[in-house]
Formats: sequence, structure tokens, C-alpha cells
Amino acid sequence: MRRHTIGIIILAGLFLTAGLLQAGAPTEKRLLLKNGHILPVTGPGFDGDILIVGTKIAKLGPGLAAEPGTEVIDLKGQWVMPGIIDSHSHIALEGSVNEMGDLITAEVDCLDILNPEDINIYYALTGGVTTIHTMHGSANPIGGKGIVLKLKWGASAADMVFAGAPRTIKWALGENPKQSNSYGIGKPRYPRSRMGVEASIRVEFEAAKDYMKAWQTYDQKVKAAQGKKDAVLPLPPRKDYRLEAIADILRGKYWIRCHAYQAEEMEAIIRLCKEYGVKLACFEHGLEGYRITNELAANHVAVSTFADFWAYKWEAYNTMPQSAALMARRGVLVGLNSDDAERMRRLFFDAAKTVRFGGLTETEALKTITINPAIILGVDRWTGSLEAGKDADIAVFSRHPLDPYTVCQMTIVDGKVYFDRAKYLDERAKAEEAKKKSAEAPKLKDKKD
Amino acid sequence: MAKRILSAGPVLLCLVFVLTAAGSLGSDEALHRVWAVKDCRIVSPGRPDVAKATVVIRDGLIEAAGPAVTVPADAEVIDGSKLTLHPGFIDGLGQSLLKLPEEKFDQMKFYTGEFTDKDRGLTPELRAFDYVALGKATLEKYHKLGLTAAHVLPQKGILTGQGAFFSLSSDDKNKALLVKDTWLGLGFSPSTFSVYPSSLMGVVALMRQEFNDVTYFAMQRNRWRKELRGIARPVHNALYESLIDYASGEKPVVFLCGNQYDIRRSLELGAELKLNYLICDLSGEAQLVLPELKQAKARVLCAVSFKAPATSIRSQLGKAEKEKAEKEFYPKSPARLAEAGIPFAFSSLGTDDPKSFLDGVQKAIDAGLSRSKAIEALTVTPATFLGLDKALATVDPGKVANLVLVEGDPLAKEPKVKYVFADGQQFDFSKPKIAEGEKPTVNVSGRWELNLPEAGLKMTLDLTQEEANLSGKLTTPFGVFDFTGGTVSGNQLYFEMNLSLGGQDIDLYFSATVTGDSMAGSVVQGTQGSSEFTAKRIPG
Repeated sequence: MRRHTIGIIILAGLFLTAGLLQAGAPTEKRLLLKNGHILPVTGPGFDGDILIVGTKIAKLGPGLAAEPGTEVIDLKGQWVMPGIIDSHSHIALEGSVNEMGDLITAEVDCLDILNPEDINIYYALTGGVTTIHTMHGSANPIGGKGIVLKLKWGASAADMVFAGAPRTIKWALGENPKQSNSYGIGKPRYPRSRMGVEASIRVEFEAAKDYMKAWQTYDQKVKAAQGKKDAVLPLPPRKDYRLEAIADILRGKYWIRCHAYQAEEMEAIIRLCKEYGVKLACFEHGLEGYRITNELAANHVAVSTFADFWAYKWEAYNTMPQSAALMARRGVLVGLNSDDAERMRRLFFDAAKTVRFGGLTETEALKTITINPAIILGVDRWTGSLEAGKDADIAVFSRHPLDPYTVCQMTIVDGKVYFDRAKYLDERAKAEEAKKKSAEAPKLKDKKD
Repeated sequence: MAKRILSAGPVLLCLVFVLTAAGSLGSDEALHRVWAVKDCRIVSPGRPDVAKATVVIRDGLIEAAGPAVTVPADAEVIDGSKLTLHPGFIDGLGQSLLKLPEEKFDQMKFYTGEFTDKDRGLTPELRAFDYVALGKATLEKYHKLGLTAAHVLPQKGILTGQGAFFSLSSDDKNKALLVKDTWLGLGFSPSTFSVYPSSLMGVVALMRQEFNDVTYFAMQRNRWRKELRGIARPVHNALYESLIDYASGEKPVVFLCGNQYDIRRSLELGAELKLNYLICDLSGEAQLVLPELKQAKARVLCAVSFKAPATSIRSQLGKAEKEKAEKEFYPKSPARLAEAGIPFAFSSLGTDDPKSFLDGVQKAIDAGLSRSKAIEALTVTPATFLGLDKALATVDPGKVANLVLVEGDPLAKEPKVKYVFADGQQFDFSKPKIAEGEKPTVNVSGRWELNLPEAGLKMTLDLTQEEANLSGKLTTPFGVFDFTGGTVSGNQLYFEMNLSLGGQDIDLYFSATVTGDSMAGSVVQGTQGSSEFTAKRIPG
């Protein structure tokens, strides 16, 4: 015990020395956003400034002073909100987002196919989005593993991965895994009913339990054989990456993101998860969620939904634009998602619709695209609101973000400006000018028609 | 189907017999086996040029090379005083010599769902050796550009197949073979059917599972052989059997990478699965992964088509940006690899023929790659990758006599290759062939009736001529055969094809003189013999 304490003191000493040494090194970059209407989302709004040091928000308040060496951006009364978070998308991936070849494909991983050069990342930044969850499609009852990204345009895939964010796994219920929306030729795939979808998950859970047991038995046999002469060591079970992933779901390693539309199938899957003791993080779309708000709230299952997008297939008929607001008011954690590269750029419009249709307050509405999806993704410690100590993920708008005429002007991720509309327009004008000039210049060769 | 082959059999045999009986061309073996190239300049990678030297070639090998070498009495002497001698170039990885049988896709599979491993892209038992086609005209195309060895690998699918390395010395692949079952190809192209894996992420997952399964199979088998009791023996699995050496790292695999992300994936998979791997960069994006390649001590094959992959931002900003990148950015990759000290060889994957392959190499040189590095990437490096650096790629006594004698620059756009030695066999290009290189004075495009009187056969010939290039097909009673190559110069035609029928592999070489709407010439079957034919244009 005593040695332990001394160890800690020595460690602390080293730490301090390192800190003193570092004081001589160049300090972290400081950026001061001045004169904005600040909407922290988790606290009351105010007019003032935000000081960013390095990748973090250091201070918020009116009249912050700029130390020498601080870069200052005068926002001149523009609106500042936390960077928008889209907790359901399929961008920045290479190849198909669905592994259609099998029913259960828990072994496939979006991390293996990230494409940081997808132009949709930049488009998303133009709409104030700073964090996304990109995921497997909804073709399979248990699809692949998803990943949370920070939209650091220009960075490598590895650098975009949100450090510390829990890994997710995609599930899907209803028409999509039934494949009733695909009319192609071919042999129909099991399952063709909602019962079958649920059963296919149950069957896989049982297989994974057997798989875990086989490994347990093996470990026990190895232990028993140790030290014994002439003991034949048992063969280990074959490593099955699919069952390995399902076993990890049972062990609670993945946050389950379950695509579902109808109330009764959501209830059924809540029951199934309870039975196996796994945590269901969130229903995707969940258009009938307003019908089972008590069950959702009691079981702490969030819903990531649309504002007013429905009736595109029969299982999406029974909803209304008040749905998100109704769920939120009854204590369900609600986020709005895009599921689409284009809608991703205007999630703030979708948030405004919850005010217009559902009567949410402006702050409640903004939460559906910031702190709520951050909680759904397990990254609210770092992002989702403007607070000292959190990552400097910030979106600046020309007007209030819920104003129909608002335009996103600037997007900051981890303290770095990744989108600046004024600068972008300036660069574009210059590029067009240069293009014009080169077109006007006399052509020396290559006269083709 | 079986009936058709049976009925075609006698006809085919008849044709072969007629060709064989028509007389011998004269065997290569009867010719000189000893040559001395006098007073040539030697360019050998990794060492200074020798201005004036003599090189002696005997029985397939380099016997002696240097300024003080004396000419043996039994040697045929070649005056090399105006010539440069360099080790023959090697195509590090290609598939244009591969002739895979065309198979019709069975549409019923969509209804039955009974897809095969082949439909899934799993063809590790596909061996390049079994399907390589080394016609005389094909060899000539390679020789004329200074290429004397080629590594062939099937490119399609996920576990694409196994390579074979050939010395381009003979149309008999048994003679030409250097190494069989060299590397296993690993591609990132998912199946286009609704069958696992149908997505890129599925492909990656499958590779992990597959190699683990093979390792597991090998472990289970070895344990069983050792213990014999107390352990269940594994079920025989031919697929796993063919993969064991690759999974254990004993033999290399090559990842066929379409973009920088494929390269990154390969580095991770290679390390994770402990594979002995090489990276084939099909796009020119290896230059974007230099630190990672360097750290992994990766060996790279550079393809030279330099097309921007769809994932690249350079492809997403419009046609002009894409074309600019393909011209200015992508060809820089080999030069950047050279600067970073990463070993690389050139690969012809993505190009159609040896000409476009070497044109691509030229692009890399224009983009900043030094000529000496380019020559290394065409000689020593591929030979090293394939484990034959002791046998090939420099001008040293004891090595295989794969040598090229060229007037001027070996890497010129149209190199003036005068002599090629492959396995010590001489191929002479010093005297221009009759009408060789002449502009075509005829246009033979269209349908012709070909008459082979000795076999009593009339067949249909479809010709397509584009300037000097000739392609087409021959419709026979026993099948339709595409040309494997063809040229027109002046009023002379030349074309060749390969007949794979009834387990027989027969090369046919046609040459003819065209007069108006008729032609007359001869067809040579392999090295067996020749037979006269005529053809008449079918009007319309």
C-alpha cells in the first residue's frame, strides 16, 4: 500500500515536470469566436464569445479577451450552435452498404470500407454537420458493424473515426429484411414474415450461445489437461467471425441500432432483448414509436426518426409529423436523422418542423439534432452541446438555425474550421475567373472540334 | 453437347493430320545453340554500363560476359558494335497471356439460388499455367519490346487463382515455364449476384474467415497426423488444401488494389492474417500510402494504366479534373515509390498488350521516374519478387540467357530491337520481314469463305481490320475460334488462333496474300507443318 502511494507521488512528479517542460513548447492554437448569438442547447442562450484552445471549448461568455496570438473571428451577430449530429447515415463508405449475400452478417464492418474522400462529407459540412454515424443497410435482421465519424474533411479514415465512441451493430425488422420491397427474380430468401425476422435473430443468438459454450468447454479441458502426462490437448473450436460478433452482442460490446417501423415489432424486439439481457440502444425510423412511448421510455430505448417523411411503403403509413414531438414530450430520447446524403445538409430544417408541427420549444428542437443523437451514440461526453471542456464542434448560421431562411456559414470540427462559406465562395469565384481566362487565352495547339 | 464433340472429332483430327503430314518446318534444336555477341554495350541493372564487351550464350545460359571474353570456335557471331545488350524485361504481373475458356452463365441459377464458388469469386484452384496461351505471334509482340519473361495471374474475383511465371522462349508452355503456382491473387471485387459476399465489406470479412479456416484445417490435420487418437480427423477439403501454403505464409499472396483504401486494407489484412504478401497497385494511388508501405516493408507491383478510381475525390469533381489527374497525378506514383525507397516492379494488369504496358512505363518515366529505376522495375525487382533473381535479370555467367540486343535506347517509344534471346533461343528481328511494317494497302474487313482443300473443309472467316490491326473469328464445324492476334501489312495478312478442343491445345498461324476479293496463303499448326488455303470474300 505504502509503495503504491510513493509510486503515485513519483508519477505525479514526473507528470508535473513534463508539464513544466511543455510550457516552453509552442502553446495550443487559440481561436476566439466573437459576438455571436450562442445557443449552447444544454443551457440558456446568450450573446457573446467562445474561446477554443486546441480542439476543445475553453470558455464561453460575453466579452472574452483575446490573448496575444489568438485568432479572432468576428461573427457579427450570427447564430452559433453545437455541430449537428446525424446518428443514421450511409455516407463515406465504399461499395454496397448492404451485404445481401446472407441473412445474418454481423461479421462485416463499415470500418473496413471507409472512404474519407466521399464528397458527401464536404456537403454535410456545408449544413453544419460535424459528427455522423455511418452504418450497414437494413437488408438483414442482423447486418454489420457501424462506426461514428467526425467529419474532418481531408483527414484519413483513421483520423475521422470518433475516438472513444462505442461500436454499433445494425439490426433490421419488417419489410426490408423480408425483402418484400425487392421484386427481382430469384429464389425467395427466408424470412418472409415479421415472425421469421424475429426468429432469425433468436436462432442466431442460440447459435452464439452454443459457440461461447464450446469455447468455455475447450478452455476447461485445456486447464484440466495441464500438468497431466500423456494428456491429448483438445482441438480448439473453429473461429467463426460471425458468431464471434453475435457473441460480442450478447456480451454487450455493441450498441444495437434496430431499424423498425411498426409498434408491435418494436415491442417484440424489446422483449427479445430483455430475454437475452442485451441492451437495445435505439430504433431507427420508428415511425410508430409515438404509440408505445411508455414502453420505449421505460426500457430506455431511443428513437432516431424523420420529421415528416413517411408513407413511402406500407409499414411507414401510420405516422404523422407530430410523432417526434409526441415521443420527446413523453420522455423518449428522440433524434432526427437523415438516412440520406442530401437530407443530411438540412437537418436543421427537419428540427424546425418539430416546432412547427409538434410544438417543441426551440431548444428541444435543436436537441433532436445535437445532444440527443450524441447520447444515442454514446458521445455526449465530448460533443452535442456548447460547454467548456467539450470538443469544439460548432456550426455558425446566418440566422437562427430554425429560421426557414437560415444559411450555414461556418462549420468547425475539433477546433478547426472545415467549412467557411465566404472563403469557399471567394475561392470558387477565383477558380471560375481563372478558368475563363484560360478559355479566352489563344489556343496554341489541340484545335479539336 | 457430347455428341457434337464426337462428331467434330474426326474433322478436327483430319485437319490436324493434314497439317502434320504436310511436312516439318525444321526444328529449332537443329540450329545453332552457341552465339557470341561481339563488341556490344552491356546495360545491366545496378551496375555501371560496360562500353565494349562480348557475351557468349551456350545451351540456354550465359556462358561468359565481359570485355576480355574470347569468342569460342563453335559460336555463331553477332556483330554487336552498334547494339546495346540488356537483360530481357519482365512483366511482373499480368493476364494478357491468359486464355480462359468462355463459359455461359446458367440463368437458372437466379431461380434455384444454386451459385457456385466460382460465382462467388472463389477460384483459388484456377491455375494460370493451365490456361496460358503462348502463340508465336504473341511471343513476337513481347520480344519486339524487349520483354522475355512474364508472370501471369488470373485477376477476376476474390481468391482469383494462382500465377505462373514464364520465360517467353517457346510456344510450348512446359518448356517456357519458370515457376508454377507462384502467388495467389486476392481481389476486392464482390460477386455481382445475390450471393455472399456481395459487398466490399463482405469480401474483407470473407478473407479473414477463409484464411483462418485454412489455418485451422491445417492445424487440425497436423494434430491428427501427430496424435492419431483422441482427436477427430478433418474432413478433406480440396479448396483448403490448395490454400495451405498461402495461408501459412510459405508462398506469397498478391492483393490486387483498385485504390489507396484497398492498399490500406491489404496492409492491415496482411499483418492481421500473417500473410506473405505483395501489393499490386492498379490505380497509381500507392503514392498516397507511402509511410504505411514503407513501415510494412511492402513489396509493390505498379500497374501503368493510371486511371483515377471512382472513390477518389479526383473522380468526383468532374471530367476535366479526372483527366488532369490521370495525366499529371497518377503516373507519378512509381517515381514517388522510388524516392521513398519502396521496392516495386511493373505490372501489365489493366493494359491490353505489351505495347500499352511499355507505353505506361514511359508515362511513369515522363512523370519523373529515372530510367535506371524503370529498368530495375522491369528486371531485377520482379525477378527478386518471384525468387529468381539468381537466375534472371542481370548479364552474368550461369544465368538464363534472356537477353535483348537493341539499337539505341532500350526504353524508346519504338525500341529498335534487333535480336532477342529467350532461354538461349535466338529470335532475329535484324532483317525486316517481307512487307513488314508496311502500311496496309487492302481492307479485308468483312466475311470470307475459307477453303482448306487438303482437309476438304469450308469455313467462315469474319475479319475486322483497324489500320494494321486485324481481329476476327473462324467459324468451323467444331466451334468458333477468336483470333489471338493478327496484323495487316501491305497486302499481307497474318493471324493466329488457339483451338482448345477435346483436351487438345492447338495453335494455328495463318498468313496470306490478298488480291482483290480473294486471298491465298498457308496455315501452320504449331511447329508441326503447314497447309495451303484460299478464301473468297462473301459479298454483302
